[in-house]
Amino acid sequence: MSAYRIMVIDDENIVGKMIKATFEQDGYIVESFLNPVPALERMKEEKFDLVITDLKMKDMDGMEVLQKIKSETPEIKVIMITAFARLDAAVEAFRRNANDFFAKPIKITDLKASVRRLLGEEES
Amino acid sequence: MKMVHKIILGNVLVILFIAMGYAFSSQKFDLLQNKLNFVEVADSLNATLLMMRLSEKNYFLYKDASDLPLIRTDLAKSVTALNDEKKDMIRAIGEANFNALESSLNGYEQEIAKLEEAGVYTEEMQASLREAGRELREQSASMVRLEREQANNLITDSRKALLYFFSFILLIALTSTYFFFSKMFRSLRRIEKAANSISRGNFKKIKGKISKDEMGSVMAAINSMCEELGTRHEQLIQSRKLASMGVLTAGVAHELGNPLNNISMVAQNFIELYPHLPEAERLEYMNTVLQECERIRIIVQNLLDFSKPKTADFSMADINGLIRHACKLVQNMLDVSCIECRLTLGENLPLLLMDRNKIEEVLINLFTNAMHAMTCGGFVSITTSLDEKGDYVIIEVADNGSGISEEYLPQIFDPFFSTKGTEGTGLGLSISYSIIKNHNGKIDVKSREGGGTIFVISLPVSKEREGTDERLPNHGDR
Repeated sequence: MSAYRIMVIDDENIVGKMIKATFEQDGYIVESFLNPVPALERMKEEKFDLVITDLKMKDMDGMEVLQKIKSETPEIKVIMITAFARLDAAVEAFRRNANDFFAKPIKITDLKASVRRLLGEEES
Repeated sequence: MKMVHKIILGNVLVILFIAMGYAFSSQKFDLLQNKLNFVEVADSLNATLLMMRLSEKNYFLYKDASDLPLIRTDLAKSVTALNDEKKDMIRAIGEANFNALESSLNGYEQEIAKLEEAGVYTEEMQASLREAGRELREQSASMVRLEREQANNLITDSRKALLYFFSFILLIALTSTYFFFSKMFRSLRRIEKAANSISRGNFKKIKGKISKDEMGSVMAAINSMCEELGTRHEQLIQSRKLASMGVLTAGVAHELGNPLNNISMVAQNFIELYPHLPEAERLEYMNTVLQECERIRIIVQNLLDFSKPKTADFSMADINGLIRHACKLVQNMLDVSCIECRLTLGENLPLLLMDRNKIEEVLINLFTNAMHAMTCGGFVSITTSLDEKGDYVIIEVADNGSGISEEYLPQIFDPFFSTKGTEGTGLGLSISYSIIKNHNGKIDVKSREGGGTIFVISLPVSKEREGTDERLPNHGDR
């Protein structure tokens, strides 16, 4: 299995840490960021296959992150996660071409299934 | 006495006075009419006597005996008139004058009788008759003059009396009207003051003596309304808090969602990765769960503290600490709306005598308002300082939001006034105003549409030492 690169952006330290722990166990390469600004900088240096980003963050809105990624590198899959689950936020995320949307608390098996589906490795 | 009774009494008195004036004038007019009638009779007597003297003069001039019967006729007319009008004449000229007139007439008759009897007359008889005639004529003329004078005097006196009488009535009417209306206006002013105070959300009763009239009834009604409004106001404050809870819910959902997710993810990983986890990491996972549980406990505790009804509790407190605490309470709400909170807190500020919960409520109200006026990227800036004289601590809560239109500024502290449509209860600022007023402080607003809003709160520096509560502000009247 080729090593997919996944980026996690969430100001909650534990989210990045837990996703990293479990996804690395499955053979992914995971980098986690608390702040979207350095995360987007990093993206210029390294090619990522999938980004998992929180919707509400201090320095930059998750929606903005989504828009930047989709306008510059539309091939990167983006999964939005939020603790502030509102239907209009989900609709807005999909309208901006988000690939999936999760409300906290996240079920890791569902998140893994979504990642696998988006990276086209469902059969594996 | 009720006002309606006073008005009726006043009207009755005016009618009574007018009736008295009418009776007085009527009596005087009767008197005048009598006098004029009498003058007419006296004039007629005077004319008869004049005719009689003319015949007397002709008799002596032409020595014509046919003049004597003419004198006799006039004499008889005069005697009849004197007898007919005896009563009126005595009243008019007095008994002595009447008797003198009567005796003059008798004297004249005797002279005429002597003349008739003698057939011819001597110089002496002529002189005597002429003298008696002149006397009679003078007395009669004097009687008319006297009566005319009396009539004139009566008119002058009556005119004066009526002038005094109506001046007196006018004075009484003006004085009583002045006292009646000044009392009424005083009461109206007290009612106006109370109404204004109520409109500002201050439900203080009308103090002082309450009269037993209709104005007193209105004041008593206003007082019981104030009492009722005070109770309702308390209930509204409580419901306003519940409404704030609604606003806070979004923030709370986010706030609770995060630790809950953290626990869930740690637990899922713990189960899934258990065999691969070294002992130290397993412990770290469980510690993370405990930490996140504590985070939830604090959020729930804060929420409970906020929604709990609080009784007034004044104590010396540090305003900066209070502001920091209030900011923590709304931090997540601000984060959700991506609004920054900037604190510039003055150093070495004195402790203030205040009800911590109430002041915190005011701050949260102002933060919530600021948040509603802003879009993502805005800021709320809180500054504290001491005024020049050191009498007040000034707290400024500024935002760079949409501001308030100038036309709304005078109303924003009114109960139920809201620029937020159905989103706002219109009570937040009104309650804040009451709270600051109960702390003997002031709250003002400066705003420009599109140019942000600054709320300036001044809280008095207590002259008492820390720990004493002798000079508690008047907070128990609502």
